[in-house]
Order: sequence, then C-alpha cells, then structure tokens
Amino acid sequence: MGKRILIVDDSSTMRKIVARSLRQAGLDFSEILEAADGQLAIDLLATEKVDIILSDINMPNMNGLEFLKAKSEIDAIKDIPVVVISTEGGADIIGEATSLGAKGSIKKPFTADAIEQVLGPLL
Amino acid sequence: MELSESIISSTIEIFESMLMMDAKAGDPLDEEVKTFRCSVSGIVGLAGTHKGMLSIHIPETVAMAITASFIGMDVDEINEDVKDAIGELANMLAGSIKSALSENGKDIQISIPSAIHGQEYSIECLAESDWVIVPFQIPPGEFLVELQLKST
Repeated sequence: MGKRILIVDDSSTMRKIVARSLRQAGLDFSEILEAADGQLAIDLLATEKVDIILSDINMPNMNGLEFLKAKSEIDAIKDIPVVVISTEGGADIIGEATSLGAKGSIKKPFTADAIEQVLGPLL
Repeated sequence: MELSESIISSTIEIFESMLMMDAKAGDPLDEEVKTFRCSVSGIVGLAGTHKGMLSIHIPETVAMAITASFIGMDVDEINEDVKDAIGELANMLAGSIKSALSENGKDIQISIPSAIHGQEYSIECLAESDWVIVPFQIPPGEFLVELQLKST
C-alpha cells in the first residue's frame, strides 16, 4: 500500500506546487492530504493516518514551529516525521525546528530534486 | 551586497526554480511608484532591526500568466489563486531579502503575505525610508519589485 503525505501550508498555490514537485520527483504517494495551518493539521491527524508531513513555518493561527511542539505532545502522532519548508533558510529558525523534532528542511524556492533529496531517505 | 543586487539575485532565482522563467532585471527606478492600475500587488512587512515592506507589483495579465505557470492550470480572471500566488511570490522574496539583511535572518521578522488587486490603488509605506524599485521583464510582460526599509 502506498504512503500518504500531509502538506501543511497557508498558501493553496504552494500546496499545489509542492504536490506537483512530489510527482516530478518520482515520489510515489497513494494520497496527498492538505491543511492550511498547524491547528488544521492537528485536527486532521486526529482522524487521518499519514506517513510523513511537509510543513511550512510562516503560517497564521498556528505556525510550523508551534505545530511541531503541539504534535510532539500527542502520543498518537508524535513519531510521524516532519520536514519543514520555508522561505526562511536561516540556521536559527531551522535549528529551532530541528530541536522541536523536524527531520529535515527545504528552503523556498525549491526544485523537485531538492524535495527528493530530503524526503527520499525518510520514506 | 547592495539591496538592488539582493532583489535581482533573489527574483531571478525564484522565477528560474519555481516558474522555469528567465527574469531579466532593468535598472532600478529613479522615482517612486505609488499608484498602480489594473495590477496585483503582493506585500510582506518586515520588523526588527530593519522595518519596512517588500512588495511585488504585477499587471493583471502578467499575474494571471505567472499563476497559470505556478499551478499548472489556465487562469482567465483575477481570483483567489492569483492573489495567493502573488502573495507567495512576495513571501519568498522577503525570506531571501531577510537573509541578506541580517546574518541568518535572525534579527528580522516577516509578516504573513497579503495581496491587493484593483483598477487603481495607491500604496504608502514608511516616511523617510530608503527604497529601491527594480523592474523585471519575463516572457508574459513586466513587473516591479520594491523594497522600502528603515533601520530601527
């Protein structure tokens, strides 16, 4: 059975671009789920099982760092790997994401190759 | 690096990697542009050691072509997809500029992007701020990238 991925980003355009890049990278997901912010992702994960999460950092309501923290406190989902994707490639914010449990990071703008290099080893 | 150089290198990289479009920069403008017609503007605020605004101003037809390329579907009106796409362009540009202004971007925060569309509108930012506006040419047409900054 194929794997399922959750894309968390407040931009619907960016969610479409990420989904297209996943296909271009040859990453075979049986289903791509989407959420527009961290809280909506937490709500969705209460009922949907996914294998990996790709999350933006700069989002309204619950940003990517807050999402990582909230997820780490829920036993049922805390072990799902998260890769952060952000315009903010600075070491500080990526370091903070890593300390909160992120397994990798991708800087916008990105290519399909960049996505494959980070996500591939985690699948 | 000069602000205009940061704008040019960031814009070219974003259009090349995300849209597969060659963006050619013109000379920075000598005069501010405050009023836009039949355009879409994406705007991101900056706060911290520098405060100000990064914006991208794109004529409607060019904005629709960019969005179509972004999402891989035809776009024939200025809808939420277009405003979202142009806001995201501003977001990516602001992230790059932030890194250029501050080591690792740690002393500057960027806002959630917003987008404006209208037949005629004006954008006013900070009084007595430094500003740079760079025109760009892509196959569908021209657009402007603007940075207004004030050190705090």
